[in-house]
Amino acid sequence: MRNSRILAVGHHLPARVVTNADLTAVMDTTDAWIQQRTGIRERHYSEGSTGAADMGAEAARQALQRAGLAAQDIDCIIFATLSPDVDMPASACLLQHRLGIGGMPAFDVRNQCSGFLYGLAIADKFIKTGTYDHVLLVGAEVHSTGIDLTTRGREVAVIFGDGAGAVVLGPETNAQRGILSTHLHAEGRFADKLWLECPASRLRPRLTEEMITGAEARMFPKMEGRYVFRHAVTRFPEVIREALDAHGLSPQDLSLLIPHQANLRISQLVAMGLELPEDKVFNNIDRYGNTTAGSIPIALYEALEAGRVHDGDLVCLAAFGAGFTWASALIRW
Amino acid sequence: MSSAILGFGHHLPAEVDRVGVRRPIAIEAVGPSTLAVSAATQALERAQLTAAAVDFIIFATMTPDVTFPGAGCFFQHQMGCGTIGALDVRAQCAGFLFALAIADQFVRAGVYGSVLVAGAEVHSSGLDYSGHGAPIARLFGDGAGAALVGKGAGRSRIRNVVVHTDGRHHDRFWCEYPASRQHPVRMTIDNFRQGKHFPAIDVDAVRRFGVESLPAVIHESLHAADTKIEQVDRFIISHLLPEVSESAGKTLGISPARLTIPAARHGHLTAAALPVALSEDVASGQLGPGATVCLAASGAGYAWGAAVVTL
Repeated sequence: MRNSRILAVGHHLPARVVTNADLTAVMDTTDAWIQQRTGIRERHYSEGSTGAADMGAEAARQALQRAGLAAQDIDCIIFATLSPDVDMPASACLLQHRLGIGGMPAFDVRNQCSGFLYGLAIADKFIKTGTYDHVLLVGAEVHSTGIDLTTRGREVAVIFGDGAGAVVLGPETNAQRGILSTHLHAEGRFADKLWLECPASRLRPRLTEEMITGAEARMFPKMEGRYVFRHAVTRFPEVIREALDAHGLSPQDLSLLIPHQANLRISQLVAMGLELPEDKVFNNIDRYGNTTAGSIPIALYEALEAGRVHDGDLVCLAAFGAGFTWASALIRW
Repeated sequence: MSSAILGFGHHLPAEVDRVGVRRPIAIEAVGPSTLAVSAATQALERAQLTAAAVDFIIFATMTPDVTFPGAGCFFQHQMGCGTIGALDVRAQCAGFLFALAIADQFVRAGVYGSVLVAGAEVHSSGLDYSGHGAPIARLFGDGAGAALVGKGAGRSRIRNVVVHTDGRHHDRFWCEYPASRQHPVRMTIDNFRQGKHFPAIDVDAVRRFGVESLPAVIHESLHAADTKIEQVDRFIISHLLPEVSESAGKTLGISPARLTIPAARHGHLTAAALPVALSEDVASGQLGPGATVCLAASGAGYAWGAAVVTL
């Protein structure tokens, strides 16, 4: 059975930059507090009628161009997001529409911060079995239209930014190269520790005026930060070691770790736990905040541009977030 | 290596009369994950497995319990499935076929031994049963189906799954709001008062596409599975409109006795339609071990597909 590999990467960040200082104009917070807690200095917000698929299409075009492929050459599209353009159908459908293509399967993966890696695992299997040759995987979010940009929502709102990344995957015949394995986990008993409750099909009715305007703010994401932090610093190293163990490798063998950009303090603790020097862990959260499903492909794009990934390097991608879900992928570049 | 469906189950809430038609409707405040637990428990029993033996979960729905995280996470917790992965897939009416295709891939690649696939919906909490919305609302029902996908043995196997999407028609059958693309806020009181959070369907367009896509994708799947129409014991063809399933059956030359039309039984259950019908047809004796069944669906997205499975 053949392997898959990432042929090319693309990214897109909307033009508008929102600094911590900008946020202090709409909520009671400070640049120092945000930086100390999260490592974030600024993030990007989209404007106009931009949805996740619009940004995803920009990232996809760049990835396709770099892969030397036309949109029509794609056999399958996987779109990871928790902020879809419309409630239904999937953003993958709108992405097809933006790219002017149709016919190949296109679906959404809704696995929050781990969404990109769940999507990567699926893309990898479709290529491994020979079902598809080229899979387009996009991770994109428009958080800015769904966060509470007031003092009430500050703990969560300051973290998130908009952005998109895309990868094109294709076959790799060398069994020692490409995606070596993927590892996916979830623990639904913590589903309400980081969530956006409404609309909620389990309520009757699932959406009310009260949910939109009421004091409870049930249409904004909620987070129990301490819980998330504690689980993140346990699950990140665990799932990275799981990937390394599967191949008899150790953290010392890693050329680069690209963690989902959730919080700089989490990434630093993970690096410390694995005894990885700073130059082996990629971070760009200072400029983009948490772009959820978009964060890993955006970071991968920048790591490649910065010359931090070379042929033959061992690269680990890892994520933890809402669900809880967590995941890793080990790649021999 | 090939994969097979080793067990299936379904759960339908009690029927309730709404706008002059009886539909399975979950009156109690539960989400699709809770409906799927009963279906999955049945599927595990039929496969003679326990929840501890499940390696991975795939949940297909368009009506998740909450906005995020996915319904699969809530389902995983209720099933007591430890820390195995729980994937949420969105492919609308064809969601179960997309989930089945992914399960088949993970098993064939040798990554997972058994994958629990659930298709479940609670539509009733998001429909407009008042005068204006009634013609659309009456088409849908609530329900859950599950299939346990594992390694194929003997004749029993998933012979083919084929799926397609054409997003250029995404606004023919959709629910527009909340819409993250609306700046600065994805859902306003005005959007709500205009009923933009209810599904809107261009019924004629969806009908035409169903009539065209279903026979074609069934031929495609049968061809890929190297199976002739006569070798299929039963066709389960899911569409929003029962007459479209019927039309597809006629085009293919299938006698009504060999055709199951899910929406004629319970209204449209979208991602749950196929696994519920499959489980019902086994329970009623219309399908048994060794039987070959062709599943097909076409709907919102547009997304459509077909599968040929020997039980």
